[in-house]
Amino acid sequence: MDPFYSKLAEILEVEEVGENSQLDTFPAWDSLGVLSVIAMIDSQYGVNLTSLDLVEIKTPGGLLKLVLARKGG
Amino acid sequence: MNFTFRNKKISGILTILPAHEQKFVDDMKNFNFSEARSLKLKQVMGYDRHRLVTGGTCASDLAIFGFRHLFDQELLAPDSLDGLIVVTQSPDYFMPPTSNVIQGELGLRHDMLCLDINQGCAGFVVGLIQAFLMLEQDSISRVALVNMDVLSRKVSVKDRNSYPLIGDAASITIVEKSEGGAPIFANSKMDGTRREALMIPAGGFRLPSSPETAVLEDVGDNNFRAKDNLRMDGSAVFNFVQIEVPPMIESLLALAGKSVDSVDWFMFHQPNKFMLEKLCDKMKVPYEKMPSNIVEHFGNASGVTIPTAITFNLGDRLRAESFLVCLAGFGVGLTWSSMLLRLGPLGFGGMIDYP
Repeated sequence: MDPFYSKLAEILEVEEVGENSQLDTFPAWDSLGVLSVIAMIDSQYGVNLTSLDLVEIKTPGGLLKLVLARKGG
Repeated sequence: MNFTFRNKKISGILTILPAHEQKFVDDMKNFNFSEARSLKLKQVMGYDRHRLVTGGTCASDLAIFGFRHLFDQELLAPDSLDGLIVVTQSPDYFMPPTSNVIQGELGLRHDMLCLDINQGCAGFVVGLIQAFLMLEQDSISRVALVNMDVLSRKVSVKDRNSYPLIGDAASITIVEKSEGGAPIFANSKMDGTRREALMIPAGGFRLPSSPETAVLEDVGDNNFRAKDNLRMDGSAVFNFVQIEVPPMIESLLALAGKSVDSVDWFMFHQPNKFMLEKLCDKMKVPYEKMPSNIVEHFGNASGVTIPTAITFNLGDRLRAESFLVCLAGFGVGLTWSSMLLRLGPLGFGGMIDYP
């Protein structure tokens, strides 16, 4: 499993997140959680996402896909 | 844009804080979030307590109180000021300028230049640039730069994005001509296309305040605020800072021919501990060289945070010692600006409570 998911689980304060978990079902996926995820992606992947980018994102798998696409681009 | 100034210095800094203190654990009762999440926010952002004005206290009240202290203690002579710059986003009135209000209340002489600047988190550096520009004139030898804001009066108590971090304060920085010394380097950048990231939408001429603009709205993230309130797009501001500030500092140090290691202190604007530590990581600056303790003790009073960080963390040391200091402000506008200068020894450097 990509280490991205364990980092995400840490921020969301759960044991693990699946590729297809629904992000909006995590209590910690609030403005603070979103900001923490944005900061983690910035420091680990050098990709700067905005909360607007995340509006369309429903799952951890979708998020990782977006990060890798931005990194590649 | 780059600036270089010669034969000028900061000779004193006084920070004025309202005596009234509020605790985050009390603020959080107004937020529409679970206690656990609010405590998490406290821990991550470094929120604890903040200083706020009460009743109808204006920013100029803090500044006038500070000037009277300096005059009474004979740390500053009223007649020695050739210029008064007031940087604020909480003026007493649309008109007249608040710098004229302060000049009048203090009975300063007529033969001077008073100037209001509408700037926020970058307001200390922008104000210093303006003060140094004025000192290029033969007729101007000493300028008082006042940074002051009481923006808590514009923030919704039900807005967890902004309320816990806001603070009120004022500072008086005396800037004057001096012979010799190292040149002072600065730079500034502006991007008005991103102006909506930090704003008070209503109350100006574009959208005058009305009963409608005073209505609290659920803005979609469990925060409630009106158009009359300050609003901040937290993640947009976070990205702006992480993307724009490190290259600005790199370019400033290149202009000055200095390395990160040669800088004694990075006295940056204080949005919250989280953002400053991320900046340190990016810029390879050790945390202990960049104080990030102002929001937890006093709150973020926009342009006043840098003088507060200097007086709180260096205080009396600045009476005797001198440091190479890198300043950086970033925020509303959007504006980002930095300065490298040798600071100290100062004639005065301290903090007082109002009243």
